[in-house]
Amino acid sequence: MSEARRVNTGTHFMMGNQACAEGVIAAGCGFAAGYPITPASEVFNALAKQLPKAGGTLLQTEDEISAVCTAVGASWAGLKSFTVTSGPGISLMQENIGLAVATETPLVIVDVQRLGPSTGVPSIGMAGDMVQVARGSHGDYQIIALCPESPQEMFDMTVQAFNLAEEYRVPVFVMAEGFVGHMRERVVIPDESEIRLVYRKITQGGEPLTRRDFLDPEVASMPVFGRGLKTHVTSSCHDEYGMRNLSDPDVMHRYIMTPIQKILSKRDRIVEIEADYEGAKLVLISYGVVSRASRQAAAMARAEGLKVGTLRLKTAWPFPDKEVRAAAESADFILVLENNTGQMYPYIKAESAHACKVGFLGPQVLGQIHDPQYILAKIREIMK
Amino acid sequence: MQKVILFPQSCKGMEDCGICAFVCPRSLFVASEEMNESGYLPPLPPDEEKCTACGNCMIYCPDFAIAVEGGAVDGSEE
Amino acid sequence: MSEKTHPLRKYMRPQVKKTTFCPGCGAGIITQALLRAIDELGLTMDDFVFVSGIGCSAWIPSPLLNADTLHTTHGRPIAYASGVKMGLPDKHVVVVSGDGDLSAIGGNHLIHAARRNIDMTVILVNNGIYGMTGGQTAPTTPYGLTTITSPYGNAEQEFDISALVVAAGGSYVARWTTYHPRQMTKSIKKAIQKKGFAMIEAITQCPMQFGRVSKQGSAVNMLKNYKQNGIRIEKAAKMDPSELQGKIVEGVFVDCDKPELISSVAALQRRTGGKE
Repeated sequence: MSEARRVNTGTHFMMGNQACAEGVIAAGCGFAAGYPITPASEVFNALAKQLPKAGGTLLQTEDEISAVCTAVGASWAGLKSFTVTSGPGISLMQENIGLAVATETPLVIVDVQRLGPSTGVPSIGMAGDMVQVARGSHGDYQIIALCPESPQEMFDMTVQAFNLAEEYRVPVFVMAEGFVGHMRERVVIPDESEIRLVYRKITQGGEPLTRRDFLDPEVASMPVFGRGLKTHVTSSCHDEYGMRNLSDPDVMHRYIMTPIQKILSKRDRIVEIEADYEGAKLVLISYGVVSRASRQAAAMARAEGLKVGTLRLKTAWPFPDKEVRAAAESADFILVLENNTGQMYPYIKAESAHACKVGFLGPQVLGQIHDPQYILAKIREIMK
Repeated sequence: MQKVILFPQSCKGMEDCGICAFVCPRSLFVASEEMNESGYLPPLPPDEEKCTACGNCMIYCPDFAIAVEGGAVDGSEE
Repeated sequence: MSEKTHPLRKYMRPQVKKTTFCPGCGAGIITQALLRAIDELGLTMDDFVFVSGIGCSAWIPSPLLNADTLHTTHGRPIAYASGVKMGLPDKHVVVVSGDGDLSAIGGNHLIHAARRNIDMTVILVNNGIYGMTGGQTAPTTPYGLTTITSPYGNAEQEFDISALVVAAGGSYVARWTTYHPRQMTKSIKKAIQKKGFAMIEAITQCPMQFGRVSKQGSAVNMLKNYKQNGIRIEKAAKMDPSELQGKIVEGVFVDCDKPELISSVAALQRRTGGKE
């Protein structure tokens, strides 16, 4: 695989979106597609300047539909591929995200989320796409989604997203919020040798339509184009060999289930959390930028002698069900903090309501980050 | 010496398609009375004495059911 | 039974025994025109990546052609093909899809690919109707024609797709009916060799749907219509628009050379030091 890579090693004061672009280039991305959209534009703007110098190519497409399709095409051409957008762009991409899932295409999509619904408020960050990235395309499937809480994680998780995409042949989302994208903070970019990179396994020879190119729970090697492999790829229902099959119910079952199992059976290796709730009676569960306020509120509550802990979901999808369950089974109350009206809440509640009480707390005013004092007041009310 | 080779199993029938008969300048194609595996009536082999190997039947056949050896494929319709 | 095989069989996947098209459908004639072009150019299937969308003609490459083939969502093959070409600049990327796929739901990608002048060949199979879904009005359905979704006659004007792509910036644009497969092959050869965006608008018979609603009937009757009403662009240029009513203008609409996207991108990579 031809590699485009340039690592901007050093300690920087950097915007989250710029850190994301640095992550794209450090991960060896060969192709990026994008369409201008606030609050994500800075990522593609930076790539337009930096990616060609690193040996990669990019295309500013006519819309986000084209952006995701072009990125999938480039991935089949053998390049690590990338696109970046915000909620309205994700909405447009949905059908072809489904194609990426169905054809088991490695792809990284960064979603710098903004306030919705509809055009909403472009410059205000809200975690409004948490469910649509996992459930928005028609049919049943699993993707991977990571939730950065800082510019540093915009770098780290972008690199990680490429690694996961390459390893599992699946679209991976980085679910930034506008606030993280536009936040400026210290970002440490390690030396090139310290950044672990993963590359997809590529099929070496064999007969097309008799070779197992798809539907392997252990992840089939990818028969990328241009190598004489005569690969057959279809987004319609297909068997392990890639042959379209619109009549056999067993094939239909495997077409849906195997890509799901491929991710769920590896969930222990994929899911990452940050747990700090030992001995806590109340656990605050959050992800993304809210986690910063959650940690601070927990620290303030502890200073008052309240037994409060935190659980941060660094991975939103596949859903950290076991991790949420463990927290619920060790506490009396789970308080879910989200920068929306409760998108992950039903999923968290489903895993915890059997063991403890569960509540939800959105921002005091939608469009603003939770004030730690506001969270603390809620904690006091619950624990009184 | 030209030769028309038929692949009757690929044919979708003189009745439903019939393009070979239409494009043959000498009208050499007539339907067989025997169905192929798919239930279509393919053409009978044409009279090679009368065939000029113009190649029309081959290049117009949508189902790759006819080949002409020794023919001038690069002819012209008009 | 002869052991011989059709001379173009070698370009097809051995597992695929026959085409999926209805009897008399022109998609097979276009398939043959394409394979003959590849054969006459002395290229192999490993020189190509084929991309298609949704609809009958999207099944021309998939699964029939023994090459890298990508069968995608409705309307998007040109976008997918653009990504393939960006990653594999040395391969010939060929999109084969229908008029509904490429000019209705996917129209935006068609005009922008032509504008960018990305090196790609598009074979736009125009049967004037939505065949696979049962004969609904397409943007290419003639004015006044009765279809399943225009039971009282089509109130809309039809697209002149070749003119559209010429205006959008295509480097090579030609239109041929399936009555002119030899000319179609010549144009496809030119299109493959053209460094830039090339489109062949292949007008084709859909006896099953268009033939039924237009009362033209069989494949043979539709070919007869192409024979009678097909008119060369050179001759059409000298005719009054009223004389061209019901005629199908055929020929090469544009054949020019201008800066091509992939070469321009490679040049800027060299300029910025990203590529030797």
